Amino acid sequence: MTMKKPSRVLRLRDFPGIGPIAIFGIVFLYIPIIITTIYAFNDGDSALIWRGFSVRWFGEVAQNANLLSAVWVSLQIAVVATTGATIFAILFALAVDRLRSKFSGLTTAILTAPLVIPEIVLAVATLGFIRMIGLTPGMLALILAHTSFCIPFALMPVRARLKGLGTDYFEAATDLGASSWQLFRRVTLPLLTPGIISGAILAFVISLDDFIISNFLSAAGATPLPVFLFSLIRRGASPAVNVVATLLLVLAIVVTTITFLQSQRRSKQNA
Amino acid sequence: MTTELNRADLNRTDPDRTGVNMVPVTRPRKSLRTPGSFPWFAVIPALIVAALFTIGPLVVIVIFSFMSRPPQGGGVIYEFTLEPYVNFLFQSDFLGNVAFDSRYLEVFGTSLFQATVTTVVCLLLSFPIALWIATRPEKIQNVLVLLITIPFWTNLLVRTYAWMLILNDNGIVNNAFAALGLPKMELLYTPLASQLGLIYTFLPFMVLPMYSALAGFDFRLAEAAYDLGAKKTTVVRRIILPFATPGIVSGILLVFMPAFGSYVQPVLLGGGKVLLIGNLIASQFGDSRNWPFGAALSVIILIMLMIALIFIAFYSKKSGKKVEISL
Repeated sequence: MTMKKPSRVLRLRDFPGIGPIAIFGIVFLYIPIIITTIYAFNDGDSALIWRGFSVRWFGEVAQNANLLSAVWVSLQIAVVATTGATIFAILFALAVDRLRSKFSGLTTAILTAPLVIPEIVLAVATLGFIRMIGLTPGMLALILAHTSFCIPFALMPVRARLKGLGTDYFEAATDLGASSWQLFRRVTLPLLTPGIISGAILAFVISLDDFIISNFLSAAGATPLPVFLFSLIRRGASPAVNVVATLLLVLAIVVTTITFLQSQRRSKQNA
Repeated sequence: MTTELNRADLNRTDPDRTGVNMVPVTRPRKSLRTPGSFPWFAVIPALIVAALFTIGPLVVIVIFSFMSRPPQGGGVIYEFTLEPYVNFLFQSDFLGNVAFDSRYLEVFGTSLFQATVTTVVCLLLSFPIALWIATRPEKIQNVLVLLITIPFWTNLLVRTYAWMLILNDNGIVNNAFAALGLPKMELLYTPLASQLGLIYTFLPFMVLPMYSALAGFDFRLAEAAYDLGAKKTTVVRRIILPFATPGIVSGILLVFMPAFGSYVQPVLLGGGKVLLIGNLIASQFGDSRNWPFGAALSVIILIMLMIALIFIAFYSKKSGKKVEISL
């Protein structure tokens, strides 16, 4: 019994030329952020002229009062927007299937519209809208707008989790006589928790990172970190910007890894 | 068999961070009395917020685009006019002579060009990347997806700023040139820099949906085709590419539209030399204080978006794959 051309099958997993392009692509994604990180540890006063390793700019950034107040503004907005968006997302996710399918599609589309509309359009539109309803740029406008565009991010993992669960748990609990509240408190909420946590983390990062919409809605005394960072960057490359950039990068790495590990654990549990 | 199961599993449980996802048309049958679900009115709070800060603003921007501008300052006065749209193509002088004016059309053209180049380059880079990741062992796949996702979640300003460091007059590239005895080149504040920034920013937006599509692919099908004598290029073109198409379609939408309306990369990397429609809109609401014109430009982008969505709906109907915006 002779196998015919077994090597044909094996070689197929390595399409010629694809590996180098893929590796180039991944390196391309990382070189800029690695360079920024390295220069954050520069001792010199210029962003790019290397004067030896030092963490002194981290110290200087930690003492910059304007920057700290921008961080504080961002954190306040992110906490409120994340809380609101997460609650709304849970309510929405658990109720949307009750709607007729046409409406559930439409409502989902409305909620997720911020994902596809270019941000600049949404930003100027929101500015016009808040002026029209008699609000002014500032904290309240920022919080409301952030809550709105954070909802899809809070919603995605919750819905994914809900779909993955199926209906068995809920049916079993109902059969065993759980009331609606007991069902929610003792079954739904604990089962959804991983999705809720990932969703909240994503919403939090999206809120912290948003620049364009925040830029149009910020006011004196309500300057979120990215808006402050932008004005810093426009004044030119500086070691302080390198440090802030590196800290935001670390945040992205930590958050992505946490949500990634969570989804890993979930898929193991389901398997 | 196990790998296939796991792959499907991963695909299902991993939240789709890409915003646009395609799911098969056949939905699970849902009962109106699903235990554990909330009454329908629980969707209202989320809808109110979305209506106030998504739909409301979009309606307002359309209304604004038909209004007049006040003699000075920002805002609008409620007098109907088509002037903002006329201004896009024509300019009238003090004597009231109306002449064709191509300046804004050129901005539109530049935006279209940069967005198209961004989309094409991302497409050409992403397909090999996604295919390569999808053909690695499962554990390595997960790590590679994580590697693509980290830049995706890194602050836009940080990613753009990083290129300012590289392309700077004293940056890495120019230092390398100097070391090689080449003359310094002006790299930052050029259209090329803006273009590079756009490609860099949006590459993960293309890779992730494409990988999502390919991760569910049963590569035994490709192997079978190959075993039956198809050339490798034929396997890619006839077997793998059609399977990846939903991911490619969503990737194109996710890269083209944001790139077309981009603001940060042209400002920071293009300097004053690159004017894209996003910057034009921003300036109309900022220094130029011509809100109706800025609104009209926004409406033009929204119309383009709608056309794109209609095309996608058409595609999904034809191919039998439903496009769900996000989730």
